[in-house]
Amino acid sequence: MSPEQNIISFDGVTVRYGRLTALEGISLEIPCGSSTAILGGNGAGKSTLLRAVMGWQRLSAGEIRIGDAHPQHARPRLAYVPQRHSVDWDFPITVRGVVEQGRYPSLGLLRGLGPADHARVDAAMEELGISGLAGRQIRMLSGGQQQRVFLARAVAQGGDIFLLDEPFAGLDLFGCEELTHILRGWADQGRTVLAAVHDLAIARSCFARGVLLDTRLVAAGLVGDVLTERNIDRAYRGGRCVHTGRAGHSVEGAPQ
Amino acid sequence: MSVHDLIIAPFGYEFMRRGLLSSVLLGTSGGLVGCVLVLRRMALMGDALSHSLLPGVAAAWFFFGTSTTALFFGGLAAGLLTALGSALLSRLTRVKEDAAFGSLFIVFFGAGVALVSKLPTRINLSDFLFGNVLGVSSGELRLAGAVCAVTVAVFVVFYRSVLLETFDPVFHRAAGGRGGLVHMGFLALTVLNLVAAMQTMGVVLALGLFLLPAVSAYLWCDRFLAMLLLSAALAVADSALGMLVSFHAGIASGASIVLCLGGVFIFSALFSPRHGALAALRQGALRRPST
Repeated sequence: MSPEQNIISFDGVTVRYGRLTALEGISLEIPCGSSTAILGGNGAGKSTLLRAVMGWQRLSAGEIRIGDAHPQHARPRLAYVPQRHSVDWDFPITVRGVVEQGRYPSLGLLRGLGPADHARVDAAMEELGISGLAGRQIRMLSGGQQQRVFLARAVAQGGDIFLLDEPFAGLDLFGCEELTHILRGWADQGRTVLAAVHDLAIARSCFARGVLLDTRLVAAGLVGDVLTERNIDRAYRGGRCVHTGRAGHSVEGAPQ
Repeated sequence: MSVHDLIIAPFGYEFMRRGLLSSVLLGTSGGLVGCVLVLRRMALMGDALSHSLLPGVAAAWFFFGTSTTALFFGGLAAGLLTALGSALLSRLTRVKEDAAFGSLFIVFFGAGVALVSKLPTRINLSDFLFGNVLGVSSGELRLAGAVCAVTVAVFVVFYRSVLLETFDPVFHRAAGGRGGLVHMGFLALTVLNLVAAMQTMGVVLALGLFLLPAVSAYLWCDRFLAMLLLSAALAVADSALGMLVSFHAGIASGASIVLCLGGVFIFSALFSPRHGALAALRQGALRRPST
């Protein structure tokens, strides 16, 4: 793949929901083939940024390009892993049933899964170590296993860019370590991982790069360079919630 | 009493055959629609939708009398207005979809009751609410056949879209699916089935024919396709059983069908080996595992 195809570039990206500004003037380049943590407090725009890369978010200004393509034309390269709490774990579906969904986008209306599709599903389950759980209903799994089922679905899709919304939320210590191991492995294989993360320690240990947001871009680059005390202070404003008043000044919670 | 007298003989009557055929057709499609209603937590929205059909039916009655076609399109128009109106309201305002449904349906139902009270000939409200399976006309039978065929065709052709939109709408969207369209289409399909079932089962009991087999199947199945098939099969089997019970016991047939379905539901809720209440109690788990 040529170098310019291997960059996700943001050029002055601004997203507003009515009067609320979720992202403002974001310009940055995220190189493909490595893992990047999207960091910031609640409402900093992490999820909005992911949605924008998926091409779901109407931008108020600016442009996002994946390689030389608009996000909506880069869809075959993208795989999205939802937040755990948005999944109905009681749904009547097995592990294999979920992983097979990864092949649905490339099937027509009436064509079923072919031998090549089944091979990809098998390979994805093998890679994530869940082949032995194929027939299990998804509630009958540990948290880490549940996460791996959805990672396997993303792998089965066959894209090279993985977008994960808070993948570490709700996982126990063991699940976190497992996921860290998997994501590091993906980056070593040249896959691109873009994940919204709110735990700074996990970001340091698991991701090569970081993007720190506070509606605006605070810092981007190697994770060690991004997560300096000064940057964290700027992004989280001393760990306190700050509202901006009409006149544009902080009206509560600024560090004393 | 011989087996023949018990099971075969009742269907020697034309009205019993028609009633059976109509409830088998509506049970098949209703059992499918019910699964999605249950899994998407829209069971009570179905209830709201069913009541909102009244003004359309009353207006049709007012202008065209008891024509099956007029009543069908009247009910369909009122139901679609409620469904699409609530879906739009919830997308354009901060009002959530359940509140939008709850508010719109009661306005529609009120309008319906108002219309009924002004009608020169008295419309029979109990037929609207409880239907009359034994008085199925051939027009109603054709209608049930058409709606059943459309519903089954939609589930066959769009099976994967229905599954994705029900299980994981965000992924469906990420995969390029038209989630909004599927949702609206599904609401329209629900209204279509409700209207078709209204004249034979009545709106309240029709909803039972949709929901009870689906929620029973949910308690047994760990695969979506299996749940759809079991739900439709339960609806068909209990329709036949309910007709026989109603024949021999001399009770209203719609109620008898719903009571048979209710029996299966209560049995499933108690005794399903994996997801039943007794299994949960045996494992000492009164609380659900939290995720």
